[in-house]
Amino acid sequence: MADLSIDLAGIKSPNPFWLASAPPTNTGYQVQRAFEAGWGGAVWKTLGDPIINTSSRFAAVNFNGQRVAGFNNIELITDRPLDVNLKEIYETKKRFPNHAVVASLMVEPTQEKWHEIVKRVEDVGVDGLELNFGCPHGMAERGMGAASGQQPDLVEAQTYWVKEVATTPVIVKLTPNITDITVTARHAVKGGADAISLINTINSLAGVDIHSWNTIPHIGGKGAHGGYCGPAVKPIALNMVAECARHPEVTVPISGIGGISTWQDVVEFMLMGSTAIQVCTAAMHHGFRIVEEMIDGLNNYLDEKGLASVTELTGKSVSKYSNWGDLNLNYKVVARINEDNCINCNKCHIACEDTSHQCIDMLTNAEGKAILKVREEDCVGCNLCSIVCPAEGAIDMVEVDSGLPPMTWNERQRVVGSLSGSYSKAEVV
Amino acid sequence: MSAYDEFAKEKQEIDALLDQGYTVTGMLETLDGAKVKFGSGEPAKGSVELLLLTADARKYVTTLVFAGLQKAQ
Repeated sequence: MADLSIDLAGIKSPNPFWLASAPPTNTGYQVQRAFEAGWGGAVWKTLGDPIINTSSRFAAVNFNGQRVAGFNNIELITDRPLDVNLKEIYETKKRFPNHAVVASLMVEPTQEKWHEIVKRVEDVGVDGLELNFGCPHGMAERGMGAASGQQPDLVEAQTYWVKEVATTPVIVKLTPNITDITVTARHAVKGGADAISLINTINSLAGVDIHSWNTIPHIGGKGAHGGYCGPAVKPIALNMVAECARHPEVTVPISGIGGISTWQDVVEFMLMGSTAIQVCTAAMHHGFRIVEEMIDGLNNYLDEKGLASVTELTGKSVSKYSNWGDLNLNYKVVARINEDNCINCNKCHIACEDTSHQCIDMLTNAEGKAILKVREEDCVGCNLCSIVCPAEGAIDMVEVDSGLPPMTWNERQRVVGSLSGSYSKAEVV
Repeated sequence: MSAYDEFAKEKQEIDALLDQGYTVTGMLETLDGAKVKFGSGEPAKGSVELLLLTADARKYVTTLVFAGLQKAQ
């Protein structure tokens, strides 16, 4: 059995599975139950000036029979006094000394406010701090959360203020509601962050009730934007994690967050640069015990791969994530239909004919049976047919030799640039 | 005509010029395709220009030049 323990910038935990700062980590009762279930760490629901929440707060997006494909919330940070939370953090840490207890913090962007809360929280023995610069609703209107996190200079300054007094590692949690998350990540590093975590939730409106015309959710007939998370956001989060991981100036470890629901998701986030991961929506959907399956699955996977430690996964796919301009234009795959598995639903033909490159023909074979066949020379290898195909193993995308040496777009443009000189300006016009 | 056939036709024209001893001496990409100038060491032959429309032909011709440059290095 592999070693699942991790060390994120000095914060140690028995496994990489942490609960994210959110409703599941609101109280000591919940966090202790989570640790009993197997979670290796928890980021305590954000501490700050206690707020007042609305009723209702949550909404889900169901898609094609899958419940909670996406999840939307307008809940804010803790609504309990700091002292109450601190007592429970102290008790939790005492009971679970080897688990990671990280306090998420959010206060007004002033040096005094940050110094005050950091000192009080560290006094009860937390293993680290996570600065919440990401919450997109409610707190942002007061100049906190995403309002701070969208301004790189404020991210840097606030991180710096925290580092002035912090004695434990500082994680900066980043908002995805920004054009380029590596900018704020870099400023967090410049401010002295020991690690970053991403992503926080994405600005969202879960829906509109077409009968009442109310927003979903609504509070007495009115709604406001919330934060979107759950499986639907995973590709967005994974890209942002990867972009940070491959950026040369983002030199700190990453705690990956965003739609992680299975052990396979965990592996993907770790391969793309995460040292640890955080989960919220999946625990809210299925309960704390989903971590059992995650631990088993990850253990089996590591054994199958012959890896002694989960830390060996971190960052292994980062070098495979590149810029479009550096991809080989002469690499080629084509679709091949396996008649034995094809159910002749024609979805591939329709998809290709209507929305791709018209290269799947409907034919009749020698026995008079209807078959589908790809004209490989016309196939651009877009994958669409295999994506829409409902029959397992009916369409394979296979690599073929284009007969041409590798050449990227950037390399090609250099060639074109070197050849364009023979055309005069008059000819260009 | 299939996309491949359109490419094959343009590739044939490129290959034919190369077989006749021409080399790619200029290229200009425009909204209407790539103008490719082929020149020859023999003055009598002069230069020939093709307007390549297909993506695969535009890729093919630049790959040939790129590979040639790689080989020369």
